[in-house]
Amino acid sequence: MTPEQEKLALELIRNPPPGSDLAAAKEYGIDLTLPHENLKLTPTERARKFEQGARAMREMRLAGERHRAQP
Amino acid sequence: VNLEEALRALYDGGAEFVVIGGAAMQMQGSARLTEDLDFCYLRNQKNIERLANALAPFHPRLRGAPEGLPFLFDAATIERGANLLTDLGAIAFLADVPGLGGYEAVEKEAETINLFGLNQRVLSIAGLIKAKKAAARIKDREAITELEAMLEYREKTGLKWPQPSRD
Repeated sequence: MTPEQEKLALELIRNPPPGSDLAAAKEYGIDLTLPHENLKLTPTERARKFEQGARAMREMRLAGERHRAQP
Repeated sequence: VNLEEALRALYDGGAEFVVIGGAAMQMQGSARLTEDLDFCYLRNQKNIERLANALAPFHPRLRGAPEGLPFLFDAATIERGANLLTDLGAIAFLADVPGLGGYEAVEKEAETINLFGLNQRVLSIAGLIKAKKAAARIKDREAITELEAMLEYREKTGLKWPQPSRD
């Protein structure tokens, strides 16, 4: 991503054109800085992040199940 | 989830498949988390056997079934579309994707992304939007909104996709 593209991308995220899909996402409450940051990663780096996220989700789910199973 | 090992096993086994679902969303840049791997596969006997052989060493069992339930994993299991739990994580194989169709249609909507040094076919943002819209699940509304914004972001910034390509 060139500095110019970065500047344009951040402007689109902060001030999306009215009526655009970007504006709809902002209105919905979606934080588009997250995918923006992800796109600075290589696909393999994103894949590693996916693995870590999935592992964390599983651990949280199992911890919740263990907690609920307690008398 | 061990995405790398799953992809390597299927790739080395010569299976034909496309990464779809939440994993594809993340590879396309989404920040949404998911816990499982979804693949669309070419439905023919040879490919189904390749998938089954590639996955067999990772102890596939039925997801949601009681521990110890006798279970035979083979090509027929994949054909039945079972949701599996393996040593690599939760995996589902789909022969058809809502809104897109079978493997050939899904493949046309896929992009090649280099993952772990493998040229892997991953469903595109446009394809993901079609699939999620067709599935018409309440939980997908937010994902569709995010994907549509990502598609617009991609078009307006002129960024090459998927990018960058340091690896």
